[in-house]
Amino acid sequence: MSALETISTQPVIDVRGLSKWFGNVVALNDVTLSVNPGVTGLLGPNGAGKTTLLNLMSGLSKPSDGEVIVLGEPVRDNYELYRRIGVLTANEAVYPFYTGRQFVEFAAKFYDLPSPADAVDLAIQRVGLSDVQHRNLGAYSRGMRQRMRLASTLVHDPQVLIMDEPLSGTDPQQRVEFQDLIQQLAEEGKTILISSHILEEVEVIAERILLMMSGKLAAAGNYRAIRAKLDERAYQVRIVTDAPRLMAAALVKTDAVESVSIESDDEIVVLSRNVTAFMKSVPKLAQEQQIRLTRVEPLDDSLESIFSYIVER
Amino acid sequence: MGSVFWLSLRQLGGRWRMALVLLLAVLPVGLSLLFHFLGGGEEADKRDYINFMLEGLFVGGIMPISMMALSTAAFGNEIEDGTLVYLVLKPISRWKIALHKLLASVAIGGPLLVISGVIVTMVGLNASFQPALAVGVSLFAGAAAYAAIFTWAGLMSRFAIAIALIYVFFWEGLVSSLITGIEYFSVRSYTLALMHGMDESTFEELSERVIELPAAIIGTAAVILISFLLTVRRLRRMDAS
Repeated sequence: MSALETISTQPVIDVRGLSKWFGNVVALNDVTLSVNPGVTGLLGPNGAGKTTLLNLMSGLSKPSDGEVIVLGEPVRDNYELYRRIGVLTANEAVYPFYTGRQFVEFAAKFYDLPSPADAVDLAIQRVGLSDVQHRNLGAYSRGMRQRMRLASTLVHDPQVLIMDEPLSGTDPQQRVEFQDLIQQLAEEGKTILISSHILEEVEVIAERILLMMSGKLAAAGNYRAIRAKLDERAYQVRIVTDAPRLMAAALVKTDAVESVSIESDDEIVVLSRNVTAFMKSVPKLAQEQQIRLTRVEPLDDSLESIFSYIVER
Repeated sequence: MGSVFWLSLRQLGGRWRMALVLLLAVLPVGLSLLFHFLGGGEEADKRDYINFMLEGLFVGGIMPISMMALSTAAFGNEIEDGTLVYLVLKPISRWKIALHKLLASVAIGGPLLVISGVIVTMVGLNASFQPALAVGVSLFAGAAAYAAIFTWAGLMSRFAIAIALIYVFFWEGLVSSLITGIEYFSVRSYTLALMHGMDESTFEELSERVIELPAAIIGTAAVILISFLLTVRRLRRMDAS
């Protein structure tokens, strides 16, 4: 992990020896990490401890051990710090009696903003909901509600943004818009920590990622370095074909394939450590041997398997 | 930070909760009118009226149940639906959040109970200003004390209503009538003592059962203050996620 870790002198978020347990259950175990300006992705399967970590970083939860320093100050019981932090929690509940605009206006009232109405306008405009801002929150789709929640998080122009699964509930179009907005905010110099259990959601926007697994930090560092490690891992791919033995014989001769097993009369499972080269070779071999391929699919492309791989290393 | 107060008013002013509280406030008024038209006014009737209507029904039931319905929800609903984070992630002290929540439930329940209680007193006892004032002030003080306790209970437990019911009907209703000294730890007892202390002649009937007026004043203030401090302490220590 240390080889991947980027060196920073003054982290915006500094987590030191952080642990959290609930009775006998250890939700977070001795996590030390730092977050700097730009977008940092917090990845991990469900139950890995991402939300627990974000709640501790936001000051919502009290650590069982360790501490969290944000912008040079302890975050817990430090209410004034929320003038510089924006937190979007995973819980999507809203006040059902407010319109979208009223919801953002409510948030704006707490920050002594010089021009609250302008700040509300800007925040709603940034999430692209100006045309539906007077509609009741209860009438919003899940994705719209999530964006209006983001607007209320952005209304005081916080320096640090902590967001727990902000892309859940958004459709592909909304996701792209959301990702663009996050990148704009990062370009403005903000520090953004964004969690997800879906690798693809985060890889587009985060230049650095933190990988959580079973309450521990499994890996942290530059996204591309971790991606390269992921690419080295052994992939299992299932191929359904009308000539499994012929295909297996052809594949096993290539450098990209480590082993091939014939599972049935029309199915083989291939183990490869160079998935890019392997995926290029499959259609080429099939064409050369005149083999018909019905299906080619990865067997273990879940985030869990990727994490297992990294943790085992 | 009036925002928290107004937000809380909207949250507590939900249709069903308000319907229940209004119904509870109207019920004794209807009964008092019935009592009046059925020919109350004799000395024995007046005694029954104080015992049944004011002590038993109003102070023993209507007031605690109304405040329970409002105050346990002050934080309870927000914890249940997860919206409490919108308050605790704002740059605002915990004591201010607690204070505005408490004030909101008193602002809804207090006036309703006072108006209802004053009408009941005026109608049933053919009363003048003094007893009406005594009932109004004592009910408001009692409502505030219950609000403080139940606001804290709503923050402490998902079963705040059950805890509140046990407190009202077991502790105040049963235990305090069986064990001497418990009445010094009972909001119902404080309320009746305040009522009696402010108008001893009208509420003479209560004189053998109530505690001393200074004890009731100190007790009410202590309950409000201690419950409020416990609420602030809980808000500061809890995991609000």
